[in-house]
Amino acid sequence: MENHLLNIGFALLLVGIMINLYSQWWSTERLQSIIKGILWLALLSLTIAIIIRIVEAGRLPFASMYEFILIFTWAILAIFVATRQKFNSPVFDLLSNILVTLLLLAASFLPSETRPLMPALQSAWLHIHVLTAIIAYGSFAVAFCLAGVYLFRENNTAVDELRRLDQLIYRLVVLGFVFLSLVIITGAIWAEQVWGNWWTWDPKETWSLVTWLVYAAYLHARRTYDWKGHKSAIIVIIGFIVVLITLFGVSLILPGLHSYI
Amino acid sequence: MNKKHPVRNIFPVLTSMSITIYLLILIALLSAVGTIIPQGADSQFYIQHYGQYPGTFITLLGLNHLYQIWWYQVLLGFLCLSLLLCSYQRLGRARSLAGVGSLLLHLGMVVIIVGAAWSLGYAKQVYLEINEGESVLLKDYGLKEGYLQVKKFKVDYYPDHSPRQYYSHLSLHAYKGGNYEENIAVNHPLKAASLKIYQTSWGWFMQADVIQGEDKQRLSLPNGIAVPLPDNNNLEIKALFIPDYQENGMGLQTKSPYPHNPRMLATLLKEGQIADMMVLAPGESQHLGGYTIVFQGFAPYTGLTIKEDRGINMVFTGFALLSVGLLIRYRNLYRRKAA
Repeated sequence: MENHLLNIGFALLLVGIMINLYSQWWSTERLQSIIKGILWLALLSLTIAIIIRIVEAGRLPFASMYEFILIFTWAILAIFVATRQKFNSPVFDLLSNILVTLLLLAASFLPSETRPLMPALQSAWLHIHVLTAIIAYGSFAVAFCLAGVYLFRENNTAVDELRRLDQLIYRLVVLGFVFLSLVIITGAIWAEQVWGNWWTWDPKETWSLVTWLVYAAYLHARRTYDWKGHKSAIIVIIGFIVVLITLFGVSLILPGLHSYI
Repeated sequence: MNKKHPVRNIFPVLTSMSITIYLLILIALLSAVGTIIPQGADSQFYIQHYGQYPGTFITLLGLNHLYQIWWYQVLLGFLCLSLLLCSYQRLGRARSLAGVGSLLLHLGMVVIIVGAAWSLGYAKQVYLEINEGESVLLKDYGLKEGYLQVKKFKVDYYPDHSPRQYYSHLSLHAYKGGNYEENIAVNHPLKAASLKIYQTSWGWFMQADVIQGEDKQRLSLPNGIAVPLPDNNNLEIKALFIPDYQENGMGLQTKSPYPHNPRMLATLLKEGQIADMMVLAPGESQHLGGYTIVFQGFAPYTGLTIKEDRGINMVFTGFALLSVGLLIRYRNLYRRKAA
């Protein structure tokens, strides 16, 4: 059942990409409402699939890379749909749609069976840590898509509109930054409780710090040098590449304490 | 000519935002490099993997133990100083609530770094393997005081035989005037004043009598670890524990992790090479090399991480300051602006 729903979600998103591609040239209100409907339906099918998984496993789906990608995709889709209420653009729809579809595709290559929780993961901190992580990384993902829109449209868009877009990116980055700080803090407190060390320069830890430093640089450059618009959009794109390395690159290439594939 | 005192010269540098941003980026890049170059191997390893010059370069700069090397710590120190001075500057501007939030979050980071440095200098951490039923004096391992006994160790398994939880029943006596008795598990350490005891590892150990002529000695053999035979430097005995031995075609594999049908696979090593090998049931005796080996018994040992650390409280205080500071600093972000 869960797989059927995920397949339906995936198919909806694929159709979404095609309609989005078409709407880059001929965007009509009718097409826009179809895209909106497709996104909501995809979100709904993902939500039900995740709820079924929770019921079947008897716990939240936070224990493997497959489960993480599943809820990460869900979070991006949810934040994307919410952000879409504030800012609507065919390029934004297309980029977000492609990103979510690729993530769901990547999840399909990973082992999906529910496994019992190993002792180190049996902690209330697991829930707080992963929940804060999906909000943080979900916000950065949507900010990345908006930054893409900014760079794509900066030469043929009104200044006011660009400023609004830049402000929206900033808000998403701040949301992500606050939650990333909580991800690192909850992870550190938890690690201290499990291993007796809150920081060991494990690759995952280190890369989450690198991510944090990149976005900290974004916030400081913005405030001090008034780096807005183009330059700050580029930092947001670099930031999300670092996020992807932290989330997936580290788990796949640099094994450490945090390898829960 | 700038005639200011050198300390005054460095003040604007450390409070300059551009320097701080470069410092953030430099530390980020270096930290990333540290995850790509394997840490802690010897210099020969880097020369083999990266070639003569890059390998030498890595070890010369200390990129092979980057997070401990002095110049990396100096960079962190500069960042800390810059944070402290920026916080000091912010004091004057902390009139708005957002300013207070910003001050708190920067101070929080300073407190975290100071706490970490404190732990680095003063915390004591040891890893001990203690057999079930045995005790240790913590003083013998560089800790302050206390007498620690492992009363019982057990593993709970899921139906698929993957481990569910590890439990050590510990009793700690005479630590700072208190006695503690607790069942610890992964995620549930024992806390006694500034001492914490964590469930870290476990394994089996076997007891065997080694008899040669009139001479009989009782050896404690941890699973999979070669132990030198008494009075003979060249010979070692390595025991492997098979908890649930099954004879029909399973070879030396175990049917389950439970000790339902235990066996000891004893290997005699001569200068590291296998000289003889046999499987013994409990109570059984066999000839191995020129010795008679008797498998006397088995029990689990528990691997405990024991830590005395006061810096951690400071680090956690820093976490709290940082979190509260962030929330205050950005509390208005999603509030609708007044028209």
